[in-house]
Amino acid sequence: MTGPLLETKLRVPRRRRSLIARPRLGAALSRGAEAGLTLVSAPAGFGKTTLLAEWLAGAPPGGASVAWLALDPRDNDPALFWAYVLAALDTAAPGVAATARSSLQRPGPTIDAVLTTLLNDVAALPHDVVLVLDDYHLVDARDVHDGMAFLLDHLPPQLRLVIAGRADPPLPLARMRSRGELAEVRAADLRFTPDEAAAYLNGAMGLALTAPDVAALEGRTEGWIAALQLAALSMQGRSDVAGFIAGFAGDDRYIVDYLAEEVLARRPEAVRRFLRRTSVLSRLGGPLCDAVTGEDGGRARLAELERANLFVVPLDDNRRWYRYHHLFADVLRAHLQDEEPDVVPELHRRASTWHAQHGEPAEAIRHAMAGGDLDRAADLVELAIPATRLGRQEATLRRWLEALPDELIRVRPVLSNGYAGSLLVRGEVEGVETRLRDAEGGLGTAAGATVVADVAEFRRLPGAVAVHRAGLARMLGDVDGTMVHARRALDLIGENDHVGRGAAAALLGLAHWTRGDLGAAHRRYSEGMASLEKAGYLSDVVGCAMAVADIRVAQGRLLAAMSTYEWGLRIATGQGPTALRGAADMHVGISERLAERNELDAAAAHLVSSGELGEHAGLPRNRYRLRVATARLRQAAGDLTGAADLLDEAERLYTSDFFPDVRPVPAVRARLWLAQGRTDDVIAWAGERGLSVADDLGYLREFEHITLARALLARHAVPEATGLLERLLAAAEEGARAGSVIEVLVLLALAHRARGDLSAALAVLQRAVTMAEPEGWVRVFADEGPAMATLLRAVAKRAIAPGHVRRLLAAVEDGAGTPVEQDLIEPLSERELDVLRLLGTDLDGPDIARHLGVSLHTVRSHSKHIYTKLGVNNRRAAVRRAGELGLNG
Amino acid sequence: MTRPCRLRVEGHLDDHWSAWFGGLTLTRHADGTTSLSGVVQDQAALHGLLTKVRDLGIPLLSVDVDEPSRK
Repeated sequence: MTGPLLETKLRVPRRRRSLIARPRLGAALSRGAEAGLTLVSAPAGFGKTTLLAEWLAGAPPGGASVAWLALDPRDNDPALFWAYVLAALDTAAPGVAATARSSLQRPGPTIDAVLTTLLNDVAALPHDVVLVLDDYHLVDARDVHDGMAFLLDHLPPQLRLVIAGRADPPLPLARMRSRGELAEVRAADLRFTPDEAAAYLNGAMGLALTAPDVAALEGRTEGWIAALQLAALSMQGRSDVAGFIAGFAGDDRYIVDYLAEEVLARRPEAVRRFLRRTSVLSRLGGPLCDAVTGEDGGRARLAELERANLFVVPLDDNRRWYRYHHLFADVLRAHLQDEEPDVVPELHRRASTWHAQHGEPAEAIRHAMAGGDLDRAADLVELAIPATRLGRQEATLRRWLEALPDELIRVRPVLSNGYAGSLLVRGEVEGVETRLRDAEGGLGTAAGATVVADVAEFRRLPGAVAVHRAGLARMLGDVDGTMVHARRALDLIGENDHVGRGAAAALLGLAHWTRGDLGAAHRRYSEGMASLEKAGYLSDVVGCAMAVADIRVAQGRLLAAMSTYEWGLRIATGQGPTALRGAADMHVGISERLAERNELDAAAAHLVSSGELGEHAGLPRNRYRLRVATARLRQAAGDLTGAADLLDEAERLYTSDFFPDVRPVPAVRARLWLAQGRTDDVIAWAGERGLSVADDLGYLREFEHITLARALLARHAVPEATGLLERLLAAAEEGARAGSVIEVLVLLALAHRARGDLSAALAVLQRAVTMAEPEGWVRVFADEGPAMATLLRAVAKRAIAPGHVRRLLAAVEDGAGTPVEQDLIEPLSERELDVLRLLGTDLDGPDIARHLGVSLHTVRSHSKHIYTKLGVNNRRAAVRRAGELGLNG
Repeated sequence: MTRPCRLRVEGHLDDHWSAWFGGLTLTRHADGTTSLSGVVQDQAALHGLLTKVRDLGIPLLSVDVDEPSRK
């Protein structure tokens, strides 16, 4: 986090003196609170904030508690925006956002995942919360709006949202309006009516004005409250009120100009100068004002301005922080720029220095930029990089960097390297090379023009650049380059830089994996995982664990893989209620291993768990992996069509995430075609892929080549199949890929049998069984059906690994055909049927909960049971399955 | 690409706003409106101007942006 959260932003504004009651608007707001969203949209000075403060100080409907957040331009970073929203909610319902806050502070969960956690906790509240977002027009970041749209889409009944601002927010307002989910209070509603104007001027402000005077003021201001307020202040203590009104009403000048000058003209120059010069600040505090003006007594001056009602708004209860009324601040700034433009840079410089010294780098950078001191801004940005990285404020860092001229960045090696990192973190390749070259240029000896603000980072720079180079090479698919740079990084990075070492080791592991060197890949990934764990980067630890386990599978080490998946799952789900990204992947990994052991029910249960964690708990890759794993279970249950549909989906969703694609989805589908008897299609696919028995063999295409061997066997092209399989066996043995060795041996056994050489068949099958037993491989045998059963019975007679052979036989005979089309083992309850019917509609979870009058949690637990009983893992599949079973009536 | 532009707002704005609006020329008309005219650097600069007008609560009456002058 770049600087602490400002408590003042979370404070419901104090009700000001001299207010008038506006029951018509209060009633409108209370009615509106039944809609999910209330929009208070009007230009500056229409009393939006005051109206809301007044309404909330009364009795918010239903005894709701109030969360308030006053936004400012820095909140255009999702990490910061949501940190404030969560803090605000915690003031209204202490603890409700605690878990979401802790997950927001860690790298890992996506914003959607954090919000899902939050919404679940809000949905469990015994009372309602009104969340007010004031000055929402200051937000222009697309990803913040996206998060808000997500929130609105999933709004539990306990949470009502009020958005106030000067412009309509880019949210799906029209849709919400048509559904009656939106209440609005706009400029036309907010304007003072003639009666309200009279009550305000003569009542609250104590002016004894005649009806024509009130009418003249109301007409001149058109009910614009800020203008009436300024007018009233100008008239206080004035003897010739009628003359003032006549002059005002007969003038065409911009109202705020006219009135601000009326007020300012009556103050001594010292006060006017104070007002002008402090107008550059977004918050006013005594010591800060002193630092900026170079004078003493700022605190007393502010208190005096407040007493004189000179357009300062207190931001807290103990009179430490204020701000100017927005309109007044703009007038003051315009005067400042017009009257003494030369002092403006110096004022900003002082403000920047003060904020930097008081631990608010973001505000320090804003002032440095506003004052045109870009060198200073660049230094401050450089120093803020580690904090933005830890706080996940990549968007903020990016905005700063884009605001700096390139020539300033290029002479700063640490900043250039930070720029490269900010690009890589978003998966952008363009420009990275140039930035890294600039960073390296600054390392050279002839570094006369080099500027360094962060000396500690500069010392670490060679290693940090090498890590980024390795990352860039990885993105460009350059395995050699990844290896070279990652190795260099490990040489350069100190023992205590766990993040750097972890990243470099993992990149090196990936390069080895892509090359097919499983042993080295495993070693490097394990090192990387240990370093990242020390650094506390648990989300990256989970990513590494996935790779380590997948590599173990290729090595045939199912048990080791299983325990790594389970360990990864514990890490990913053990950090509070919001699972880290990768948790869903671990369930899929566990499921695949269970499926290989033929524990199909348990395997299915893990896929349900994976689906239930939601997409945000999975790495991008998991979307397709989940479908491939589900397809496999479908196929094992005899539902080949369902499996084929899932594989088509998987192909559409495929993304490698840089993992080597060692089991391509089209090859998996080709194997399914073989089960469907579509041998010609598979041969055609192999032709398109350019596969032939004469190919050089390697790890990356091994799965495809084994698929080709299967197709040749299906075509009774036994000699070709045997030749290919024998070469595949040698290659897999050389690469120590025991998983592949077992599969190839199984196929070789079938090939030998097909050409009538039973003793050769039994010899290789015995080898396969012996290798398979300790790690518990089952399906690789069982999937071969009756032909395998015959051979296994022969092996059984020889008393080789008798226990395992019995298991294999049982699996083959069991798998010989129990299609899924059958009645449910456990019928659905009445309530589950209700939920199932609603799952078939467009309603989302909260809507269903509302419809049934139960909590979201209850709906989730019903859904979970339904999925388990139907043997599916998502809503769509449940609805489809229910249709097949005739359950959705 | 710079473009000439002209905003018209309700009310008379004093000349001291010229610096605030990035040096635009202010012309006050007899009908009680003000024109702010000059050259904007690009669309982003134009939107910056519109935001400034919005934040002052001045009713905006019209916005004209000319074709960039071709040389």
